[in-house]
Amino acid sequence: MEERNHTSAPETAKKCCGWGAFLVGLVVALILGWAVLPALMQKELKQPVAFNHVLHVDEQGMDCRQCHFTGPDGRFSGVPTTASCAECHSEVIGNTPEEIRFVQDYVQTGREIRSEWLIYLKQPDNVFFSHAAHSVGRCATCHTEYEEAPGTLCAVCHMDMSKVSTPPVYSENRLSGYPKGTMLMWDCERCHANPNHLSPATNANNACFVCHK
Amino acid sequence: MNRRGFLKFAAGGTVGLVASPIIWNTLYDAVYWTQNWGWIPRIPRGDSTYIPTISKLCPSGTGIRVRLVDGQPVRALSDPGNPLSRGALTALAAVETQLMVSPARLKDPLRRTPDGALVAISWEEAETLLKEKLAEAKGSTACISGDPTSTINELLSSLVESRGSADFYFMPDDEQAALTAWDAMGGLGRLGYDVDNSDFILAIGANMLESWGTVARNRKSFSAKRPAGQDARMKFAYAGPVQNNTAAGADWWLPCRDGMEMELALGIAHLLIKTGHAVPSAGFDDFKAIVAEYTPEKVAELTGVDAARLTEVTRALAQAEKPLVLVGSSLGAGGGAGAVMAGIAVNMLLGRVGKEGGLVNLPFPSPVVAGASDYRAVRKRNLVAWSQSVASGEIKAPRVLLLYEANPLYALPFNSGMEEVFAKSGFKIAMASFLSESCAKCDLVLPAAMGLERFDDCYTPYGSGEVSWCISHPLVKPFYNSRPMGEVLIALAKELDVEVGVKDMPELLYKKAYSLGADFRKMVETGAVFQKKAGGAFSVPVYNAEAIKVALTLKKETTPLNLVPVVVLGMGTAQTGIPPFATKIIMEYQLAGHYSVAQMNAATADRLGVRKGSRVTVRRGEVKIPALVDIFEGVLPDAVALSAGLGHTAFDQFSRNKGSNIMTLTSITREPGTGLPVWSSAGVSVDKV
Amino acid sequence: MSEVIDFKIRWGMVIDLDKCTGCGACMVACQAENNLAPQVDASNKLRALNWLTVYRLSNGKPFPEHEVAYLPRPCMQCGKPSCVSVCPVVATDKREEGGIVSQIPPRCIGCRYCMASCPYHARYFNWYDPKWPGDLDRTLTPDVSTRPRGVVEKCSFCHHRWMHAKDAAILKGEDPMDLPDGAYVTACAEACPNGAITFGDLNNPKHKVHELKQSPHAFRLLERLGTDPQVYYMSKREWIRRQGDNYLEHEATGDNKKV
Repeated sequence: MEERNHTSAPETAKKCCGWGAFLVGLVVALILGWAVLPALMQKELKQPVAFNHVLHVDEQGMDCRQCHFTGPDGRFSGVPTTASCAECHSEVIGNTPEEIRFVQDYVQTGREIRSEWLIYLKQPDNVFFSHAAHSVGRCATCHTEYEEAPGTLCAVCHMDMSKVSTPPVYSENRLSGYPKGTMLMWDCERCHANPNHLSPATNANNACFVCHK
Repeated sequence: MNRRGFLKFAAGGTVGLVASPIIWNTLYDAVYWTQNWGWIPRIPRGDSTYIPTISKLCPSGTGIRVRLVDGQPVRALSDPGNPLSRGALTALAAVETQLMVSPARLKDPLRRTPDGALVAISWEEAETLLKEKLAEAKGSTACISGDPTSTINELLSSLVESRGSADFYFMPDDEQAALTAWDAMGGLGRLGYDVDNSDFILAIGANMLESWGTVARNRKSFSAKRPAGQDARMKFAYAGPVQNNTAAGADWWLPCRDGMEMELALGIAHLLIKTGHAVPSAGFDDFKAIVAEYTPEKVAELTGVDAARLTEVTRALAQAEKPLVLVGSSLGAGGGAGAVMAGIAVNMLLGRVGKEGGLVNLPFPSPVVAGASDYRAVRKRNLVAWSQSVASGEIKAPRVLLLYEANPLYALPFNSGMEEVFAKSGFKIAMASFLSESCAKCDLVLPAAMGLERFDDCYTPYGSGEVSWCISHPLVKPFYNSRPMGEVLIALAKELDVEVGVKDMPELLYKKAYSLGADFRKMVETGAVFQKKAGGAFSVPVYNAEAIKVALTLKKETTPLNLVPVVVLGMGTAQTGIPPFATKIIMEYQLAGHYSVAQMNAATADRLGVRKGSRVTVRRGEVKIPALVDIFEGVLPDAVALSAGLGHTAFDQFSRNKGSNIMTLTSITREPGTGLPVWSSAGVSVDKV
Repeated sequence: MSEVIDFKIRWGMVIDLDKCTGCGACMVACQAENNLAPQVDASNKLRALNWLTVYRLSNGKPFPEHEVAYLPRPCMQCGKPSCVSVCPVVATDKREEGGIVSQIPPRCIGCRYCMASCPYHARYFNWYDPKWPGDLDRTLTPDVSTRPRGVVEKCSFCHHRWMHAKDAAILKGEDPMDLPDGAYVTACAEACPNGAITFGDLNNPKHKVHELKQSPHAFRLLERLGTDPQVYYMSKREWIRRQGDNYLEHEATGDNKKV
């Protein structure tokens, strides 16, 4: 046994593998680490209804704020409710199959679309975010560019949906249960920890309770 | 592949993984996982709406503003817009929304099976059974209601009357004694107290800042007239056996033995007459003769109230511009009419009858349901007198006993005869929202929709100084399988061919509104409240010296130790049990683990040879309850204070296994003259274990 | 964090102990507002979790000279909080305008140094997992996240109500940092039927508390420790004021008062 090892092993190693094994391992791991595992970690979900923003904004001339507005109590409406959709869609008014399905499954049954809608920027329970405090009126005191194009302020965090005709795929991390887009503390701190934001005009600071509840 | 090859492969793999985002992204994601405790609940994210209504759990119908999140009621907040409670909230009204989903909530109709268990049945079965049993029970139906402010009582009364029976009763409360007394003194209507406009209130026995009368309104009045950091515009004295919550807000505490309220009031009358207060009316001379012997010294001996302190308070009372004397009982029920008569007499001496901030006479409501007995007639009937007669066999037990939001097995003294009534009655039906002790003994239990799920109302609760009427209307669909009892009763009436004259609860309330001149629609839409000042002519009350004299002969039981019940509204009522959040407001001097706490002053404890923490039994006759001693100097000598509202055996984990029910230590006697069953004084002994 | 910040706004309470009758409405409102779990047995007060506790006070005299009073105790939101300086993970902090001492349970490691350092026993440890039996979790509010076992929590002066009041002011075009009196009140102050708790900005002369805290009857708990609490109490009764600190026999109350 010993003798055979002495003579043959190093040779075969050189012959059959060399750095090839290393390379194979590297390539396999890279494929796993870059493509396979990340894909396995993510669960791709579709929105309950394929809402078409282009159709509503471009063709019907609706304004973003008709659905996405800040209520009198300061709470942002976020996604509209079935009831607010039904203000127009009490009956089928177009001819797309998705609309027909929406009217049948939600409007007619009273099912709430908002509680089923997947939020791309879903935050955990202990996060407090006020859209009123981050409104155009407040930010534009210094960042005047938002005055002209309010949508660009929204787009600092949110995807610009106005040109999207089918809702993007919602991809959720299987382990954490949060979507890809969820922001972390340092995303908030880009502004909140910026000394320029501590001026009396904004009163944004980086204290814990400013963002946590 | 050999070992070396494998190691190279593994090394390559490691380098590859490190150079790919998966590890770093996963570590990065760890921050999200720390927010994913699967075993603690998530919070809701919906829109909030706020709707003004009233709390039907709170006996005086406190105004609340309900916060709904995505249609689910989550909070009962104070309602500054309610003209009655004006933003005051009670600890019980504050848990209205929690109790809607409490574990004690009845979810399905329950039927007793032959082996004794209560099992869930469908509403169809329940309604069939209900109809069948009531149809059979002609001439022998009794009903007990625990909610005297609701117009649903008229439906119940009409149904009972239609069975050829007059046995419709309210659970006993302080109004019964007040009505008897007011009648005896020549008042014609309901006795009311204009607390809002008084500048000096002497509450004798009435726990008015905690549970008595229109408590939220009383407290708002107290709050508004005694603003923080400013001089009080209203003085307040409380006479009672213990420094309870009401005493904590009082300028003077008059330590008065429980059950001796009448003697104290006569002592005050004595002092008033001596200082020249005499508002003449029929019977004054006889009354004067009676009170002549109630000198401060004698009163001190009888009641325990120090003569000097009594004199001081009486002087302050006499000097006040708009004084008012209220009389009630520690338990909110079981007090005698004599004490109230004496209290009325004091108000008469002060010239405070029919005056702003004084005693007022309120009209009785007139029924809107066809065939219903009127309020006064129902009030005149006495549940305990009836139950004792049934127990002794004088009266036949009813074939059907119907309980509406009532828990007589818990709330009445041990010799009320209620257990025998339950044993003897044919078929027992409970309409309730929570599984109470009484529900647990019924044959059919119907889950009632709660105040925020049903149309109901609250008409002039006892203690109010004006006519008031508020309504509750459904903010949500009834939870679980519960149903609004008003609708169930109207449907039942139809099935039994009883003409009640209304087709549903909104119509009933609409009729009620019409009879009062209220705007029903506006009340539903805006939470508006109907109010009408007391007024109009009424006969001047008389000093009914004869009735007072006879009532004075009631034998009070205050030895060896005077039992002092302490009522805290936040700990719930007999119908609600202890609300889930209330376990934290029960203090260490009220409950210790499974034991009730017996509070007594140090002198009493020394005499009994017990110390703080000693285990004792509190005994009266055959009944013994275990307790732990706590020393509290705010209790009369030779008295022992125990919390009411403990010792539940039904409801849920928040109510059960907590102390003992002090009602088992009380017993009923009859007040001479009025014949009213009373249980406001009890003598107990405390034995060391 | 040891430097003391001079805040423009100092939210605070003045609790009139002559008006409190100990009914517990504030404690109930607090639990419901801040998503505290109910406890089946809360008679062991060392294990009961409350952000606000009502204590019964006694003048210590025997019957019949005995007097009783009740004292609601929220977090004092100290100007120099001893809890903040001992926290090893900065889970608690006092840095925000308004002077409310924050507590972030997800950051807390449960070491309980803060509990040991708090002279007011205002901090509570989650000895058990919070449980809402049956459907009780349906009454959770959206305003405060639930906390797991093993972390410390405390009264936040209903901080979320401040955030909502600021939002409402922004929408009305008003200055969110100059709220009118009453625009932001805590759940306990709102619930108190006796009006014993007055809430507002201690620094703002337009707010009622500004005047009340200067009353000769006002005092703070353990004032001489130098914690500079933002909760004041007031009582016309000397014996109550005397119980606010450890006075020697010859000392008079109010000697060390700083307003």
